[in-house]
Amino acid sequence: MKIEFWGQEFKVNLAIGIPGAFLIAIASSMFGFGGGPFMVPLMAVGLRLPMYVIVGSSLLAIFFNTLMGTFRHYGFGNFDLIFFLIMFPAAILGGYIGPKIAKKLNPVMVKRVACIGLLILALQLLGIF
Amino acid sequence: MKRFLNFFVVFFVLTVFVSTGMAQKPAEQKAQEQKPVEAPKEAQSAETVTVSVDKTNLSGGGKLTITGKAPAGKDVYIEVWAEKTIRAARLDADPDPKTGKRPYIFYMTDDMPAFYRLIVPEKYKPVLEDAKAKGGKWSVSEVIKNAGADAVYGYPAKLKIDRYQTSLWASIIGSRGTKLEPMDEKENKRRSMQLLKARFRSVGNVFSSNLKIAEDGTFKATVEIPANTAPGKYFVVAKVDKDIKSEPVIVENSVTFPSVYLPNAGRTVNVIWPFLLTAAITTFGVLMGAGGGFILNPILVMLGLPHTVVAGTVMPTVLFSQGTGIYNYSKINFINWKLGVTLGLAMLAGGFIGPKLTELITLDQYKFLFGWVLIILAALMFWQTTPKYLEKNKKEQAILKEFQKRAQEAAKKKAEGGK
Repeated sequence: MKIEFWGQEFKVNLAIGIPGAFLIAIASSMFGFGGGPFMVPLMAVGLRLPMYVIVGSSLLAIFFNTLMGTFRHYGFGNFDLIFFLIMFPAAILGGYIGPKIAKKLNPVMVKRVACIGLLILALQLLGIF
Repeated sequence: MKRFLNFFVVFFVLTVFVSTGMAQKPAEQKAQEQKPVEAPKEAQSAETVTVSVDKTNLSGGGKLTITGKAPAGKDVYIEVWAEKTIRAARLDADPDPKTGKRPYIFYMTDDMPAFYRLIVPEKYKPVLEDAKAKGGKWSVSEVIKNAGADAVYGYPAKLKIDRYQTSLWASIIGSRGTKLEPMDEKENKRRSMQLLKARFRSVGNVFSSNLKIAEDGTFKATVEIPANTAPGKYFVVAKVDKDIKSEPVIVENSVTFPSVYLPNAGRTVNVIWPFLLTAAITTFGVLMGAGGGFILNPILVMLGLPHTVVAGTVMPTVLFSQGTGIYNYSKINFINWKLGVTLGLAMLAGGFIGPKLTELITLDQYKFLFGWVLIILAALMFWQTTPKYLEKNKKEQAILKEFQKRAQEAAKKKAEGGK
């Protein structure tokens, strides 16, 4: 598939893109997260697209997944309204504070901290740590 | 004025109607309730069990002391359960010991009490200890059998359990499978024990051996109603046998703000903690360039919330922020709709299947798989901090900023031109 972005033309390999997006969507809707951190590398490495093409379009693709996942979870009775009402304002607050702090921090340091934090969490889930 | 009068007349008639209707209903209910009370009177000539509790009102859980008297020399068991119900589900994929075939039958009930405790006599403490020593492989039926509680295990045995014959294909098209005929009493009882374990997980959450029986048949037990369990009525019944049992004693548990009961998760939480946790993690999520769900979900699951409810409730919370993100990018013309929608349709199909799988897997499988997902994510994060990636990223970020600037200018011009 050929796409045009701000006057530049890119070729997108759908044989990688569609199965990849499909599998990421299954995993992320199953565990209940967005899927962005997996879609961005898929589009950057698998589809060889530059970052400025990815940022907006990956968000749109993920939105489809989140929307469907939300409806499906709701249908299966997995949605707890009161729990949602507690978390929703907190998530908006986080989305408001985050970008304000982000400017003052070194992104590489943040990612390294996140990397260690994720590993600890993973080992705890696997019952090793 | 006339209109007002008419209004008043209608209002008056309606009020009378409603209030008489309301007054009649309780009378009918009372008549129904009185019937079963008479039955034990006849049985009183035989052996009876009496039971009482030290308090009938609890606030945010607490310790209950249960005392009573049963026929001397007999084992007494006490069942305590909450009126509020929650869902419990289990996929039976264990191979049949004879044929080796996996049944793939999905059992589900929405009537599981939010709290259940079977208190067995103190002498059966070793049975519970044995079960605890087995770790995750303990079974409710074995404990019940070894503690001699088979005849008294009552309330959950009668749960309405639905069962579905599921298959790979059913999972793909997102259905629970074909609903099977209801089970007979014996099978329902057996499956209810498995669901108890699926829901409450540990031995201590289902059984307790805190029950002392004196020689003359008086007994005393204590039960701790945890602060994180459901509000509402709790029923306490002492049993010697299937038929020799006490009338239920009702204890009311109340939960007051800032604690709230999450009806689907079946838990009482103090609103402050999930709020702070979510705010902190989503802030960090923005910083590391990933949604907060990756960190939030495992933590909530580790805190003891059911994984199905966690997945099903965190997902809608990010919907809004994704929507605003798309709106902001589209304003500066930064979304390639063809690319986004093409990949989006593939994700739509995936998002249809995923939530079905959440329901089928157990908490342990959820933790195991999520653990590996996080390891992959950590590897991706690490890769993004390598010098080679950073160099490439620097260039791309510069281009990105340039494009954004141009896009914003273009949008501005357009807006001005529009005026």
